[in-house]
Parts: sequence; C-alpha cells; structure tokens
Amino acid sequence: MTAEEILQQIRARFGSEIRTSEVRRGEASVTITGDRNLEICRFIKEELGFEYLNCLSGVDWIGENEMEVAYAISSLRQPGKIILRARIPRNEPVLSSVVPLWGTANWHEREAFDLLGIRFENHPDLRRILLPEDWIGHPLRRDYQDERFVPYPWDDRKPGSVVRPTTA
Amino acid sequence: MTTVNLHLQQVKERTAESMEEMWVNMGPQHPSTHGVLRLLIKLDGEVVRECIPYMGYMHRCHEKIGENRAYVQIIPYTDRLDYLASMYNNWAYCLACERLMGIQIPERAEYLRVLIGELQRIASHLIWLGTFGLDLGNFTLFMWCFREREMILDLFEAVSGQRLNYSFMRIGGLALDVPEGWLGDVKAFLQWFKPRLPEYDRLTTDNIIWQKRIQGVGILTPEDAVSYACSGPMLRGSGIRWDLRKNDPYGIYDRFEFDIPVGTRGDVWDRFWVRRQEMEQSVRIVEQALTEIPPGPVLAPVAKKLRAPVGDIYSRVESPRGELGDYIVADGSEKPYRYKVRAPTFVNLSALPVMLPGYLVADAVAVLGSVDIVLCEVDR
Repeated sequence: MTAEEILQQIRARFGSEIRTSEVRRGEASVTITGDRNLEICRFIKEELGFEYLNCLSGVDWIGENEMEVAYAISSLRQPGKIILRARIPRNEPVLSSVVPLWGTANWHEREAFDLLGIRFENHPDLRRILLPEDWIGHPLRRDYQDERFVPYPWDDRKPGSVVRPTTA
Repeated sequence: MTTVNLHLQQVKERTAESMEEMWVNMGPQHPSTHGVLRLLIKLDGEVVRECIPYMGYMHRCHEKIGENRAYVQIIPYTDRLDYLASMYNNWAYCLACERLMGIQIPERAEYLRVLIGELQRIASHLIWLGTFGLDLGNFTLFMWCFREREMILDLFEAVSGQRLNYSFMRIGGLALDVPEGWLGDVKAFLQWFKPRLPEYDRLTTDNIIWQKRIQGVGILTPEDAVSYACSGPMLRGSGIRWDLRKNDPYGIYDRFEFDIPVGTRGDVWDRFWVRRQEMEQSVRIVEQALTEIPPGPVLAPVAKKLRAPVGDIYSRVESPRGELGDYIVADGSEKPYRYKVRAPTFVNLSALPVMLPGYLVADAVAVLGSVDIVLCEVDR
C-alpha cells in the first residue's frame, strides 16, 4: 500500500476530521482534530494493517494555543509509515488513550502526561513516569518556568546575555 | 505424633497465617538492575505475581535540553543516552538530521559508519553478555567479554580520543577520518575475536547450568512483543524476523550480506542466543565493509549554522538494543522545536510486567538482564 493509497483511505473514511494530509518523504502524514483519534488509530491498525506503534510524542504548539500528539505508526508485515498528529486545545488537552490498541502506548502516554500535561481518557494507570510524583508543572511545555532552570550565560541567542569568553 | 510431624504441623500453621502476598522492592540500588531502577514486585512465596517498574532516577531533561541547543550541539548529549552504544546514538541523531535537512553524506563516511556501528554492536553485546553472565553467577565470562570489549574501546579511542562518549559523528559524516593503519587494526581484532566466540559457547551455550537457568523463563509471546512494540533482540527472540537494517535499510546496509537470527520460544535463552549470533553477523558485516571501503572525504560540505526546513521526521535505526528513533519537529530555526528520543530500552522495559508474573523471584534477575536495559536511556 503506497502512502497515497493510505491517505485516500483515511480521507474517504474520516474526511471531516482531517486538517492536512500529504505524502512527505514517502510517508503518509496526517493532521487531525483530536476528538476521534482512537477511531482513526483503530482504523489504521485493524483495517489498514499497521499494527506497530513506533512512537508517541506530545508537542506543545504554544503559538497556536494547541497541543499535539504525534503517533508514528508502521507495520512489521508491509512497508510504509504513517505519522498521525492529533491536535487538541491547549487549555483542555484531553485525548482518548490508545492503550486498548497498543500496550506500548501505556508508558508513552504516561510520559506525555508527565512532561506535557496531556491527559488521556481511559488510560489504565495515568501517573507520572519520569519525574517524582510530587513534581509541580510539566517541563516540556514551552512556557515552563523553574528557578533552577538557568540558561547558559554564553547563550548568545538570548537578548542581553553574556557572550561566551574565548580566553580563560 | 512424631517430633518431625509435629514440627511440620507447626510450620504449616505458621505459614498458613502468613500466606498473604508481599510487596518487595528490588532496587533502586541493586546490582542486577544495571543502573538505578526500582521494581516493585508482588511475591506469593517465591513466585512473582505482579511487577511495577519505577524509573526516572536519572531523568535529566534530555529532550528539554535538546530544544534549547543548536542541532550540532545536541550530538554530545546523545552520547549520554545509551552510553554502551554511543556511536549508534550519534548515528541515529545525525541520520535524523540529515534526512530532515536533505544532506547526502560521502561514501567513505557511510562505510565507516557501518564499520564503527557494527563494532559498537559487538562491544555492546559483549558487555551485555558479560553482565548477564555476572547476574547468573558466571564470573569468568564477564572477564572474557570485557577483555574483548576493551580492544574495541582501544579502536574507538584511536579514532575519537574517547573511550565511552565518543561524539564522533557529525551531521553530514564523521568528525575525522580514521588514523593510518586503523583498518588493519580492525582486521587484527577480528582475527583475535572470531575464535573467542566458540570459547564463550563453552561457558554459556554448552553449559548445562546456563541452559537450565534461562531456558523456558520469561517467555514473551510474539503478540505481546508487537503490542508492546518491542524491538531488537527482544522482538527477534520472540520469533519475528524484523531488523531495520534489512527491512527498512538506512545508510548503506542494503549492500551487505548478513542473516537475521531469530528465536523460537521467546524466552531468555532465545534473546541470549539471538545476541550471541548477532555478534557473528556483525563480524561478517565488518569484514565486508573492510574490503569495500573507498578512499575520499568523510564529511559533506555543510553549513556551520544548520537550519532545518519546517516539518517533522521520525527516523529510526537498529541500535544494539532495538529500534532507536528520533522524532524531530523543526520550525525553521537553528534549534529543534521538539526533539523526542524513542529509546529502545524504554519501550522494551514496558513489556517487563508482562514477562515476569508466574516465574520465581530468582528468575526475575535473569529476565530483567535479558531485556538489556540501559537506564540512562530509559530515563533520558
């Protein structure tokens, strides 16, 4: 199944959900609005036959006031890769969990919850995974502030910062 | 009632009182967790009923740091992910950037990457075999494996000046060409290394204790392996012939001849046997690379300030531990907007709660060892 065929099938089924869809570097690349992510994932897994969830990562699009969860999906039986991006509002980042489809989503979703504060409905065990349980905030959000998080003094990309000394 | 029977009766009564299951902490400081990992294990007598891993003791915001560094500056951080296969981390990251930016790297660099990558795979499997042997009480094996690994580290030291965190690869190729005579040293190493593998077999494969200890333990079914997206020797041990070097070739792996060893039952033994055979296949690849390697430059002409075009990429390579993926979102600036590492052991470890229940607590050490975890990569 070529990337274009994959896209056609997804478009035919979930046309209204899709924001953008294109073939990029031979991979199907789809952006959807978040509500029906579980259904689309189930369609990709069960009807298109892409049964292997490689990666799940959250992205904070602060400029657009949105959060994104990107699923990289492939198959062990056929070539082809799909990148599915589900966009959700930033002030209410809630998505359906895809743990019923892929066991591996469990820890990936916990990580996205931990570092970005995205909540996954019907997740069996949604709690922090890398940070301590009592941590406040979600560090991978672009507006995360922490007094211990100090930029390097020689980071010359920031206005008003010190230029790195070249001699000792 | 005889004294013995009376005693047995007492023991039975006492154990009946305390038959409830017990939660036991394994780690964070425990020699067999290979780093700082805490396993909360529910025991019913000696049998594991449930396992909950806790990690993050070495979380150091790798991805957050990545968002605040230029593309080139991230390379040294990638060394610290899987410190037993730093070259492969460099490679995975550089390859993702090259794909994102559309950079073609010189032929010689491609060959050297394969050559170094496969030597790294041997070194990584050697340290796995050694420490796994240590977990099972096979100390001689540990010394032997480290002896050979030391030679590979010497080779890497000669090219990069480092013994562990090499930072040797660059976006567009390699930092340096290899020194004169280095390829001959690699050849000499292979001459030494090839007869060693049968020697390891005498301590492992042919060893009845070794066999009894790990056969039929920690079975991972192919269905679970796919559902939990296991990769590398974990997936192949479960009988699925899947290797990104063959199935989704990157670099120039499509030019080499090698086999993909697979297991049949998905137990600890199969994972051991897959890694053991992979070392042989890596030797084959290195030998082919040595005969075909062309002269020429090792670094493509790339800009000093690299900018990636707007877009995202999920790029994956077959690291010694499995599928090492980098998901990079670029916003057109000189820093990645989002940089996520799909660490193979993070994903493989998530299958541990499926593999452990039903086996003895002594087997838990063997099962955990067979996952080949590197906690720096799990915690990132």
